[in-house]
Amino acid sequence: MDALLRTLSLPAQILSRVPGLGSLIKVCSTTVGQKILMAISGLSLCGFLVAHLAGNLKLYAGEQSFNDYAHTLHSLGPILAAAEIGLFAMFALHIGLAVSTGALNKVARSKDYFIKETKQGVSILPGGASSWMMVTGLVVLFFLVCHIIDMKLKVGPGVDYTPALNAEKIVDNEYQAVKAVLSTPSRAFIYTVGLVALGIHLSHGIRSALQTLGINHKRWNFILHWLCIALAWTLAAGFISLVIWAIGGR
Amino acid sequence: MSNHLLNLNLRVWRQSGPNDGGSFKTYRLSGVSTHMSFLEMLDVLNEQLIAQGEEPVAFDHDCREGICGMCSLMINGQAHGPDNATTTCQLHMRRFSDGDTVTIEPWRASAFPVLRDLVVDRSAFDRIIAAGGFVSVNTGNAPDGNAILVPGVRQEVAMDGAACIGCGACVAACKNASAMLFVSAKVSQLAVLPQGHPERNARVLNMVAQMDKEGFGSCTNTSECEAACPAEVSVSHIARLNREYLRASILAGN
Repeated sequence: MDALLRTLSLPAQILSRVPGLGSLIKVCSTTVGQKILMAISGLSLCGFLVAHLAGNLKLYAGEQSFNDYAHTLHSLGPILAAAEIGLFAMFALHIGLAVSTGALNKVARSKDYFIKETKQGVSILPGGASSWMMVTGLVVLFFLVCHIIDMKLKVGPGVDYTPALNAEKIVDNEYQAVKAVLSTPSRAFIYTVGLVALGIHLSHGIRSALQTLGINHKRWNFILHWLCIALAWTLAAGFISLVIWAIGGR
Repeated sequence: MSNHLLNLNLRVWRQSGPNDGGSFKTYRLSGVSTHMSFLEMLDVLNEQLIAQGEEPVAFDHDCREGICGMCSLMINGQAHGPDNATTTCQLHMRRFSDGDTVTIEPWRASAFPVLRDLVVDRSAFDRIIAAGGFVSVNTGNAPDGNAILVPGVRQEVAMDGAACIGCGACVAACKNASAMLFVSAKVSQLAVLPQGHPERNARVLNMVAQMDKEGFGSCTNTSECEAACPAEVSVSHIARLNREYLRASILAGN
């Protein structure tokens, strides 16, 4: 176990020990620098979620409206490809740093306590959302893989894409494809669980990212805390509402 | 407040030296006055152990009035015991009930190796301070105290950071054994004062570098440190450290 953790934390350890690297790498290689990168990548992904939800809410505007939006998006071609590569890079950075700092953190306490309690108030989840970042992150990752297979590659096993097929038997009606995926019971379940995990992840993640970037002020902390939680659950609830909508309209 | 006598089961971590594996040992202690401090209770335990010809339990302590930062101890999974804003020496036995089992462990962090029993080596903190937690001054007469004006609000922020006694409870309570609250308090107290500004960039970069070198974990913003801190140092100092770090990274000369 210890050896595995040490191996996983190697990138972070090597980066933090090598002197004379470029100043940017040097800055990013400390624990503080890594958390700053974690925060920036996390907030970028959050920005993507806002755009993604805004686009998806077009489903409520009807078949024509959503398909027009989808075709416009796809016709962006290289711009869309660049955005997708950027998005993938942000995911890779975020996950990579999570693994490496997580492993380093385990090394930082090689022997655990026999009893460990908290002095913080009670929270819904034991230890609060901050103790569940790795777990919820992994659930979201699993959901994401399913999501890409279902919606991007359109080869989701068990999903009936028939209503979305055109004359050449190719899926080109995005509206019907989304509806077909979301109304498949297994997908409705996976997506809902994935999105609840996302809500938990963001309910700590957004505020934590702002704190890591130094945003903390006595006068604004209270409102900022609740705004961040509201944003997290608005995003999760917005996506979950589409699942409910699809099941209802089956 | 009436004086009750408690009978306690103490589950204490015993470790003969840095390389010993260590294990828990259970001791029965009777007639513990509720007026005793936690450390006085350990003194009584040690008297009993010495009388029995056993090695007394080694634990850190000095001022016994909550200002020196020497006492530590993880008591039933809580740094400095169950109370907020309290050091172990200020914890009284009236917080416990007759028949309780009390588990006493040393701080657990790779950067704080156990020297013996409940004593850990916290010199990692000293090396972090030596890396930048100071202001360089010229020798000579003391400067006029009012020569540089500092707004009252800033003085208070600096004082809140300076309240840190360096006990290590933040590291002990953090799930990542991160020293961010300690380092941020030491960076903050100087960063907000004009006297600290000339060395501002080098200070934060060097102290963070030393913190990493000592093997402390990173900050996940759980605020567990703030809750455990006997000096009530706020995590707002961690945000200030992050700001100082970002600022220094962008502006520092090399």
